[in-house]
Amino acid sequence: MNRPYALSRREALRSTALGFGSLALANLLHAADGATKAPHFAPRAKRVIFLFMKGGPSHIDTFEPKPQLDRDDGKPYPGTRPRVVFAKTGNLLKSPWKFKQYGQSGSPVSELFPHVAQCVDDICFVHSLHGTNPAHGGAALKLHTGSDSFVRPSMGAWIAYGLGTENADLPAFLTICPTLAHGGVNNWGSAFLPASTQGVPIGNASTPVEQAKVKYIANTNLPRGVQRKQLDLLKELNRSHLEAAGPEAALEGRIGAFELAYRMQTTMPEAEDIAKETKETHKLYGLDDPITAPFGRQCLLARRFAERGVRFVQVTHSDGHVQWDQHGDLRKGHSKNAREVDRPIAGLLKDLKSRGLLKDTLVLWGGEFGRTPTVEGGGNDGRDHNPEGFTVWMAGGGVKPGFRYGATDDYGWYAAENKVHIHDLHATLLALLGLDHEKLTFKHAGRDFRLTDVAGRVVDKLFA
Amino acid sequence: MAAEPKPEDLRFFEMKIRPVLAENCFKCHGAEKQKGGLRLDRAEGIADGGVSGEPLVDAKKPESSTLMRAVRHADGVAKMPPSGKLTDAEIADLESWVRRGAPFPAATKFERRIESRHWAFQPIRSENDSDLDRFVQSKLSAAGLKSAPSADKRTLIRRATFDLTGLPPTPEEIADFLADESRTAFENVIDRLLASSAYGERWGRHWLDVARYADSNGLDENVAFGNAWRYRDYVVRSFNADKPYDRFLMEQIAGDLLPDAGTDGVIATGFLALGPKVLAEVDEKKMEYDIVDEQVDTLGRTVMGLTLGCARCHDHKFDPISAADYYGLAGVFVSTKTMEHFKKVARWHEVSLATPSELQRQADHDAAVAKLKDAIKALTGKADDDSKAKLKTLKEKLAALEKAAPELPSALAVAEGKPTDVPVFKRGNHLTPGELVKRRFPIVLAGESQRELPKYRSGRLELAKWLVDPKHPLTARVMVNRVWRWHFGKGLVRSVDNFGLLGEPPTHPELLDWLARCFIKDGWSLKKLHKRIMLSATYRQSSRFDSAAATADPDNRLLWRANVQRLEAEAIRDSLLAVSGDLDRTIGGPSLAHVKNRGYLFDHTSKDLTSYATARRSIYLPVVRNNLYDVFQLFDAPDATVPNGDRATTTVPTQSLFFLNSDLASHAADSLAGRILAKHDPVERVQSLVELAYGRPPSETERKQLLSNVAEFESAYANETDAAKRTRKAWAAVAQTVLASNEFIYVR
Repeated sequence: MNRPYALSRREALRSTALGFGSLALANLLHAADGATKAPHFAPRAKRVIFLFMKGGPSHIDTFEPKPQLDRDDGKPYPGTRPRVVFAKTGNLLKSPWKFKQYGQSGSPVSELFPHVAQCVDDICFVHSLHGTNPAHGGAALKLHTGSDSFVRPSMGAWIAYGLGTENADLPAFLTICPTLAHGGVNNWGSAFLPASTQGVPIGNASTPVEQAKVKYIANTNLPRGVQRKQLDLLKELNRSHLEAAGPEAALEGRIGAFELAYRMQTTMPEAEDIAKETKETHKLYGLDDPITAPFGRQCLLARRFAERGVRFVQVTHSDGHVQWDQHGDLRKGHSKNAREVDRPIAGLLKDLKSRGLLKDTLVLWGGEFGRTPTVEGGGNDGRDHNPEGFTVWMAGGGVKPGFRYGATDDYGWYAAENKVHIHDLHATLLALLGLDHEKLTFKHAGRDFRLTDVAGRVVDKLFA
Repeated sequence: MAAEPKPEDLRFFEMKIRPVLAENCFKCHGAEKQKGGLRLDRAEGIADGGVSGEPLVDAKKPESSTLMRAVRHADGVAKMPPSGKLTDAEIADLESWVRRGAPFPAATKFERRIESRHWAFQPIRSENDSDLDRFVQSKLSAAGLKSAPSADKRTLIRRATFDLTGLPPTPEEIADFLADESRTAFENVIDRLLASSAYGERWGRHWLDVARYADSNGLDENVAFGNAWRYRDYVVRSFNADKPYDRFLMEQIAGDLLPDAGTDGVIATGFLALGPKVLAEVDEKKMEYDIVDEQVDTLGRTVMGLTLGCARCHDHKFDPISAADYYGLAGVFVSTKTMEHFKKVARWHEVSLATPSELQRQADHDAAVAKLKDAIKALTGKADDDSKAKLKTLKEKLAALEKAAPELPSALAVAEGKPTDVPVFKRGNHLTPGELVKRRFPIVLAGESQRELPKYRSGRLELAKWLVDPKHPLTARVMVNRVWRWHFGKGLVRSVDNFGLLGEPPTHPELLDWLARCFIKDGWSLKKLHKRIMLSATYRQSSRFDSAAATADPDNRLLWRANVQRLEAEAIRDSLLAVSGDLDRTIGGPSLAHVKNRGYLFDHTSKDLTSYATARRSIYLPVVRNNLYDVFQLFDAPDATVPNGDRATTTVPTQSLFFLNSDLASHAADSLAGRILAKHDPVERVQSLVELAYGRPPSETERKQLLSNVAEFESAYANETDAAKRTRKAWAAVAQTVLASNEFIYVR
């Protein structure tokens, strides 16, 4: 049965310690209820792995070549610049990297991603994504929650709310090494949705991934046997309290929560134990190379969680800096960043495919914005933030493989052809999961809220 | 249209049709303008069709109705709305509405003036002398229900102590109450609790929830509000002093303009300044209006229970608040100085609280710096070794001196700005200004003919006075309802932050009004309000379960028993520290955050340097937006971005992990073990453990259970060779279990 990892109201009642069956009791439960809902229609994907490239990778240096930009290198940008820009930029700057076409689909990929290039026939590129916010915080929040001005539930929380989890012993939404800057916890928060839908962080961007753990998941002081005894005693204390206090669903729910927590102490480390994977798998994710190992480990964890039924796994690529934010040092920075993630990402795609998981796992890759075609900084080697047009890609989970959709203008500044707004991306993502973005609502402060607010359009052209 | 439409049709109209009409049509076909003689904001208008004289709709042929052809941009009719076609979904809704016969609320009901019939906008009823229980009893007996008998004394003192102080009663306090057989025994307890400083810490914290208090900005640039703590302490002080609520509000909105408010008046306006702000917003005008919007919205929710923010982009879709009402209020805050500048990264305004001697110290320091700089300037460029050496020492001196600059006390506070009226911004966008609106208050509450706000001031003072006018229908009602919510766990109006049309109506409207009246009559005294509530039989009843009542009224709306309530995050932590004997009761003082005012709590490194390793009460821990202390987060403390007077109570396994595995829980258990080990007899130890944690003696079964567990834990710790340590560990393991149990964190 699908359900979020918090006890549902129904379950709390069914497993009631004292066996009160009265339905009226259901309403006594204070705990926010994230009870399971079936999707609105047949889903194409069952789960999502979101590879978030923090800082804003440059679309025109990775997946969307711009010949016109090459030709006009060094000339002034002839178009109109956005009304508000983050910083002042100069003339046009061509990409320092060469592009080649790959696979049957002939999708272009730059030298930065030689391994991902081998997977293009599984990838569906969206070259016309656009938002409006040119600052990291606002743009990251917009991408994760649909709102850059209010605290709203993260898309992972909406999905957990809509579908629950396939594994009652794990959270529905996990986020591996998220960044605490630029919106921080709000990027994986549940806002007004039930708390059980919020992302459970495993470490954060400053934690070395091999040390990243769910908070309080292990007890360093108590022998496990002592803790089991504690739980048995606790159950007795709680039961006699419940007998005295009368039937109270919240009290019963908490009794179950302790047992679940106790089980999570086993299921989390088991899921995180990548030592069980073969040498070949380790190699596939780049764990044999110190440069690719950290992100490789994150990707491998993502696969292991997805395999175990976690609904939404986010993997953030960010180090102690805003990783992909090359206002200067573009060549060095983007080369380093791409080198760290290229092999792991390709490894993840191949691994999911060979395990038959790719067909119902949607992989989403992208940053909070792209970068300007014009140069920033004195060194002729940087680009500013560009929310007006950029690339994200998806793979598996019912999207068209080997497909390219939309385009930015000749220079890569504005989304021009088949524009896809961030709200549209959200609507599309939900649709792939069998959820109607206009029906996935939650009543709060007197009105119904949605991930897509009052906007959003499903881009069904992306569907296989 | 004679008959009132069916409720489901009305609901459809309110949810789907009216918003579309309000947003797209009323501007030209409404109360102000009637282009083509057409009004769409009333049933008659739709029926008579304006100058054409043809009805706009025909339920039998919806497709060929003029209205539908116009919105479909069909040939032969004016294409409506002229600004752009409606979405397919909107058009489909309109067609379905026409098919239903275009049900429209009776014309009179639809107009703003009449719509103000909504209960919360009516004057507060004046009631004859009554008492709280009579209101509750009459509802209960009408439903054939009875209230529960009074709770026993132990339950009562535990409930009252948590309720008023957020801490458990001590065994001594319980013993005193049990020994007090006078009629006023419970009243004595309430008086004692109200007089304790812990009261202000508890109820101040409640207020901070609705003041969305935080020690950091959050949002995109998470920098420290290093002086927010002064506002927090002001709130605690005000509650402890039982400052009249009208005065309390006046100070928070316009304390800087009250002649007798002094420093506290300035600090109090921190209420307006504490909101989260997008400080790196590139569009400076947008930032300015976003900040104003946050203020208007907070004021609306906190004080009046109205979601005014909705009217920024369009007339409120549900409440009779127009965009013009919104911009009338917004003007007051545009005329208020909240920010020093809006350049990226923007800087908020602060008001210096420096005394003359502090200023003197600053001046001395500045002079010393200037002198050193001059000396450095004089030596700069000189090539001889002697000068070079001297220069080096001087530079070092300067660096040291600058590092030791005295920090002048200042408050996060607002001041008067340039009085400005602002236009209505279409769709909330400052790039599409509409008509200018004079600064004023919402018409539904303040009427059409309002006295003009002063030309040379923001109007904040007038706003504050208007809000606390005893005739204001919302201010007192909203606050007594909040107090009720914080006592009972649910408000009389359950949607405590929303008294608008989409809020819930009160379960006991007469009681709500009666309380509001009494509150005003008592000089807006919160302490008197607490007593009035807590001395009632309604408050004192037990939480006894009654299955017949539970079937008839599962949500306990009629108050047939006391609600079983879980402690809030702060009270859970404070109680752990209290029973372990570790709680540090120091009151007030600067933020415990590690960064200076305006410093970044998080840079790109995501390293969390804020330490929560302190035994101070939770109200004094830093509230870091975007990264709230995880213990608070786990137990449903709000993120402090919007006012929240109705915290959720969730039950998730990560909370259980906290009780099982956190350092805080195990330290508390260890200290508690240390406390009870002072007794030698194991039976006495168990007695003491249960009394400290639950406020009652253990039952015989529990005594046996706990003792046998101690023995088991001792043997589980067999490889601990030090017998004293082994004993302590075993008792700590038992204590931790007791602290993790439901009885410790649920109040009956």
